[in-house]
Amino acid sequence: MSFTVDVRRRALAANDAEAAQLRRRFADERTLVTNLISSPGSGKTTLLEATARRLAGRASAAVIEGDVATELDAERLRAAGLPAVQILTGGACHLDARQIGKALTRAAFPRVDLLFIENVGNLICPTTYDLGEDFKVALLSVTEGSDKPFKYPAIFARAEVTVVTKIDLLPHVRFDLAAVETQVLSLNPSATLLETSSATGEGIDAWCELLLARAARKRA
Amino acid sequence: MKGPVRQSPPEAVLHEFGIANEIYRVCRESMRAHAPAQLLRVKVAVGELSAVEPDLLSFAWEAIVGEGPDTGAALEIDWRPGRQYCPTCRADKRQGEGSWLRVCLDCGAPLETVGGAELDVIEIELAPAGEEKAG
Repeated sequence: MSFTVDVRRRALAANDAEAAQLRRRFADERTLVTNLISSPGSGKTTLLEATARRLAGRASAAVIEGDVATELDAERLRAAGLPAVQILTGGACHLDARQIGKALTRAAFPRVDLLFIENVGNLICPTTYDLGEDFKVALLSVTEGSDKPFKYPAIFARAEVTVVTKIDLLPHVRFDLAAVETQVLSLNPSATLLETSSATGEGIDAWCELLLARAARKRA
Repeated sequence: MKGPVRQSPPEAVLHEFGIANEIYRVCRESMRAHAPAQLLRVKVAVGELSAVEPDLLSFAWEAIVGEGPDTGAALEIDWRPGRQYCPTCRADKRQGEGSWLRVCLDCGAPLETVGGAELDVIEIELAPAGEEKAG
């Protein structure tokens, strides 16, 4: 005779438990953690390089870098002065909390004011996995088109901050900033929108000030 | 710091495969208290806003249970739509299928979302080991 057992547990209970543990650790260490999510090529690594230049001397920072293959991004960030650990997912489309825990066990991993987790380039899968971060950041480059928030709503609904990147290319592409703002705010009325160009440096100050203000709040 | 942290299989595959793997992990943990037993069916709640595609989840589930000890175990998906409530209009506002709109189209106020984010293992059905599978 078969019998039924009541379970009622989150399917991602194991990930959530690990993420909760990471969140406690980051609270103890007063590290502000951001989870950067976007399509491949929208400028996550380049934004972090620009951020490193602007934050130099004002706050310590490190990066956990997620990619399917290669250590190229971690090498770029180290060259920009940021300690970086590369996670290779071997085909998986997102990072999970266990991988973050594992990356933090690297002997030389420093205790920092700001920890950036650069997720695997993908607008869908990474949104489901809590990594113990303070908030998610969605990046959208102007070359991707202004219809993306409604086409990939989950990430824009969950990201506290949406960063529009590559705005120096606006004269060359059809991209409606106002439409993006309307979409993002209708998905997430409390979202913060920033416009940046890592190439010209425009908007990088505002992004860094936001990070520093949030980091100061966490230390208080 | 140099040298990558590598992900090992079987998690290194598509999104729903990872989720199916986690569902199976929860099943196995819940089965421990009833061992030895075989898994016949698992019922999961999947919310409309959980970013999980039911068909892909079923496909991944079949691959996960494969030819293992729980081969043939059924995945029953309880689809949960999200409810959106406007506190200003004091009314539920139904949006289009799969819509994530979070502002009221009538008054512009932020909508409160109730449910739809579920990704839960509800119950499992087991057969004591050694018994014929229920027909």
